[in-house]
Amino acid sequence: MRAPAPADFTSRLHGPALAARVGPALGVCFAVCFVTGLLSHYAQQPSQPVPFPTSPAWGYRFTQGLHVVTGTVAVPLLLVKLWTVYPRLFHRPPRGLGRLLVTALERLSVLVLVASAVFMLATGLANSAQWYPWSFSFRTTHYAVAWVAVGSLVLHVAVKLAVVRAELGRPLEHEERASVLSRRGLLRTTWLAAGVAALATAGSAVPWLRDVSVLGVRSGDGPQDLPVNKSAVAAGVTATATAPDWALTVRHGDRSARLTREDLLALEQRTEELPIACVEGWSASGTWTGVRVRDLLDLVDAPRGSEVVVRSLQESGPYRTTVLQAGFAEDDRTLVALALDGEPLALDHGFPARLIAPNRPGVLQTKWLDRLEVAT
Amino acid sequence: MTAGRAGRPGLVGRVGLGALGVGLTAYGAWLLVSREADLLDAAAWLVGGAVLHDAVLVPAVLLLGLVASRWLPWPARAPAAVGLVVLGSVTLLAVPVLGRFGAREDNPTLLDRDYTAGWLVLAGLVAVAVVVGTIVRTRRDRRARRDRRVGVGSNTCSG
Repeated sequence: MRAPAPADFTSRLHGPALAARVGPALGVCFAVCFVTGLLSHYAQQPSQPVPFPTSPAWGYRFTQGLHVVTGTVAVPLLLVKLWTVYPRLFHRPPRGLGRLLVTALERLSVLVLVASAVFMLATGLANSAQWYPWSFSFRTTHYAVAWVAVGSLVLHVAVKLAVVRAELGRPLEHEERASVLSRRGLLRTTWLAAGVAALATAGSAVPWLRDVSVLGVRSGDGPQDLPVNKSAVAAGVTATATAPDWALTVRHGDRSARLTREDLLALEQRTEELPIACVEGWSASGTWTGVRVRDLLDLVDAPRGSEVVVRSLQESGPYRTTVLQAGFAEDDRTLVALALDGEPLALDHGFPARLIAPNRPGVLQTKWLDRLEVAT
Repeated sequence: MTAGRAGRPGLVGRVGLGALGVGLTAYGAWLLVSREADLLDAAAWLVGGAVLHDAVLVPAVLLLGLVASRWLPWPARAPAAVGLVVLGSVTLLAVPVLGRFGAREDNPTLLDRDYTAGWLVLAGLVAVAVVVGTIVRTRRDRRARRDRRVGVGSNTCSG
């Protein structure tokens, strides 16, 4: 049995006519994912030379929801795109060292592109469902490979630009021969599959799609009508968070205050409607009531524009300690929340007190607060 | 020659774009090598995805196409292909939720839908669409054949 050759693939659904039409759409998806991903990565950096904006409050909810929905939609696009060019895998290497080298380089660049593209979508989808069947760090690797994917994509565009232009300059169907599915048919099918993929999953981020998104990671239900990313049990805080002697420590240099839940409830209460928006793409809006962080900082005479180190009761994990940058600490909407929807916070939502700020990744909305320390 | 001259600035732009692409790729590779502790696992996932696609997924779809071309009547083939692309790709992207691999007992708000039922509804809708598409095509083909016959007959009458 011999290896297949490109000529063995007789379907006209293979070839540049469709690749030149699905490819650009896929490229746009990857560009959107890259930009929104960089934004999310930056939002999670403790040190931000350019302050991350606190408005609009729904900004991160929008960009991260877009990130995951676009990545999901890219799955059918990538599958069809790779289908259209699959026969090229069996091109025989040319003769002559020079040509061989050029071909080898081109194929290596395509291999890097395919491997990194499949990797980004597979790891992203698994992460959105909180499935980690690997031992590498998701955030580090997804971020690094994103640069590889976009870099090899830019190179691929540079190499194929002329082919794409030529294909877009002639009609999609330029043969008379009948086939099972026309090119236009597969193209429409591709858009249909992308649309179905979006509708079937986007409900985790778009409330009015909840009933349609049968494959959404979250239905949007939860204690106090809000889903939970990490439970009190998983964080190991059930005992410390319900301890009767719990108090929030607020410290600035040698000035410090210890506030029990009763003390906090005795301070002026503010109510803000702010979303919880997770890196996994799901989001939901909540009505939070509690004490303004700035009011607490005033208790210990923290100067304006201070950065605050926020610590949770949880004993371990990368988000046990987070940095609340000055812009967020100064924002009037940033609260130490004590209640959600008018009810005391559920334990899984961060009882006795949690941080909630506008336009921030959910992992930084620290639950089960232990202390706020003004960085000096 | 004129085409060559006109293509010159385009070529310069493309070479520049290509160089940018190589630079970004190299930066990503450097990030990966310098920051990721478990490179072997990352490499296995990088290569594994491409190999699974090229050596398992596509041959399986090609085989399915071959079987369909033997067994499926002509009017059913295009609707079946459409159904396969839609349901196949959506099923693939739903593997993490269908398998509920990330489910945790302490967090009932995660993966809290009946995904099997949801998938069955989706598959049912696709199946109905494929059947409707097949019926429409069968009728259209039959009508086209009849019209051709009538057309040929009237031609002989008039001429």
